[in-house]
Amino acid sequence: MNLTRRSFTAALGAAGAASLLRPSMSLADRSGELNILCWEGYNTDDVLGPFRDMFSSATVRAESGTSDPDMINKLRAGEVNVWDLINLNQPWARGMLYPEGLIKPLDKERFMPFFEKMTPEYGTPPYPLAFAEDDELIGMPQRYGPFSFVVNTDKISREMAEDMGWKLFLEPDMAGRFGILTYDNWNLIHMCLTGDLNPFQPLDEAGFTTFEDTAKTIFAGAKMMTDDLVAMNTALINGEIDAYFTGGTYTASPARLDGMTQIRGITPKTGPIDGKGGVVWAELTSLVNNPDPSPLASDFLEFVQKPEIAKAVGFAEGTYNPVAQMGDPEVFALYDEDELDAIQWDSLEEESARSVEYDSVADYDKLMEIYTAARRG
Amino acid sequence: MQRRDARLGLLYSAPLSLFLLLTFLAPILLVAAFSTMPEKVFNLSQAPDFSAYRTVLAQGYWKSVAWSLFMALAATLILLVVCWPLAYGMAKVFKRFTLVLTIGVVMTLFVSENIRLFGWVLTLMKGGLIEGYWRHWTGTGFDAPLYNGPIIVFGLVYVYLPFMLFPLAQGISMVPDDARQAAYDLGATRWQILREIDLPLAMPGIMVGSLLTFVLAAGAMAESKLLGGRAIITIADEVQTAFTYGQNWPLGAALAMVLIAIIGTVAIWAISKADLDKMMGGKS
Repeated sequence: MNLTRRSFTAALGAAGAASLLRPSMSLADRSGELNILCWEGYNTDDVLGPFRDMFSSATVRAESGTSDPDMINKLRAGEVNVWDLINLNQPWARGMLYPEGLIKPLDKERFMPFFEKMTPEYGTPPYPLAFAEDDELIGMPQRYGPFSFVVNTDKISREMAEDMGWKLFLEPDMAGRFGILTYDNWNLIHMCLTGDLNPFQPLDEAGFTTFEDTAKTIFAGAKMMTDDLVAMNTALINGEIDAYFTGGTYTASPARLDGMTQIRGITPKTGPIDGKGGVVWAELTSLVNNPDPSPLASDFLEFVQKPEIAKAVGFAEGTYNPVAQMGDPEVFALYDEDELDAIQWDSLEEESARSVEYDSVADYDKLMEIYTAARRG
Repeated sequence: MQRRDARLGLLYSAPLSLFLLLTFLAPILLVAAFSTMPEKVFNLSQAPDFSAYRTVLAQGYWKSVAWSLFMALAATLILLVVCWPLAYGMAKVFKRFTLVLTIGVVMTLFVSENIRLFGWVLTLMKGGLIEGYWRHWTGTGFDAPLYNGPIIVFGLVYVYLPFMLFPLAQGISMVPDDARQAAYDLGATRWQILREIDLPLAMPGIMVGSLLTFVLAAGAMAESKLLGGRAIITIADEVQTAFTYGQNWPLGAALAMVLIAIIGTVAIWAISKADLDKMMGGKS
């Protein structure tokens, strides 16, 4: 072939132009493609590898987000066309994604049977928060965990921490001895609970004032703030701090599996919401409302219910968490003693019983405003 | 002929200019457009009401802006003082060792900023490299020098050192040795030479180095987050919070625009002072 400089340039131009046309051409068939936007865990080889083996011709891509709102922003910015599945904490799915049409309902016939094998909290009755207000099933629960605060039990005993609950962080002699894990949306909830407020109900003016005072006291007493759980655990282990505000099984488990079992997630014994002071989160994995959906999305959602895969999701690198599928004896048998200790299995049930469900914060915007101003100092 | 050349030049540069316009300007224009939207909207279809700017003014965000600018200024001044002798050595004294130094400094840029900063956390933290050994040897420990304002400035100085060092060395290399020798011959003191020969003639390098470090440091947040334990909330951190947990894109955009406006003004002022052509060795 006689390739002149001119024809080469022309070919290059044509190739460039062709790439612009691709999105519309690819609209026709996405059966061999699956894109998952998720918290860490679903994107590991232990989970994706076996799925890729099952669908060897498919291109499966998973990207891990760093926060719920970051992932939501991706969908809002037009990436609904890109992703097929999204894995988020449930209030965002119920409160924002579904009402805004960013996710769509699951096939109940296909997925309802899986609830029968789940732990009682999620299986009987089927986890109410997996359903939208119109009763559609909007996601499948898997990982969950109590999430309140974490202490070093060598410095503050578990019993004392549980008895004192959130008031621990208002104690004058705790000033300079604790950190704040700045998962902002969680901090809002926990600061409300510290001020004996229910974050899931609208607050009055007195409530906002209490929240502001509480936030200021906690920020003033904090020795450090970070959104990095590893940095926070490190500070707790090396004695820089004795406790951290906002945390739980999710954040304490990596240190515990490493043998540092003095690092423990604490659920207060009492609190302002019907006597409960702890909060428990659960993730939902939902189908993105992609105009050109991949048929593999539902297959993957079914695939992660399998015992080995459910365990792999719960015990992926980074953080370790209980999964709702542990209600199935076949799944439970896969855990050894250290792993169960890492996720505080011994107290999981009582901690869950002392916790309320993580929900949308009623006055999120106003509280966020007060929170960021207080943090600024 | 000259007009034809000019026209051809314009034509040839058109595709790249268009590309640069799209890639550099379009995102900023998008942010600018979002900053005018009513708060909490996620598209540009609403009528602009500039309410996000009112929020910026009303809610004390100036504190974060002021802290970021102050820390950037402090870091820039410290870097200027720290880098001057080193840059002078690189430009005038070290000869072939300059290359070794250059490679050494550039190599640090190959490692991600976050990893390098986390390395400092591991070094400085309680039970870390320094305190851990100290306690092992002496039996007494001390509090880590982390989680405060000065350590954030230290982080900025550490991370942005190359951005000051190289322009400064380039600037100092422009100072003719003859001029310095002539000044000595005429009885000038070392201080006079620094003030009246070195500083003015190296000014383009000083300006470029200072500008680069200041602009980058003003928009930094990793140093505050990792080393400083968010003891000071930077404006970049506020922008991130507004876009993510705040779910308030217009507020985030307005905060970003305020920062862009301040930094842009400083940059344009500084660039107008620096003679870049001369620095690059071209005609002045």
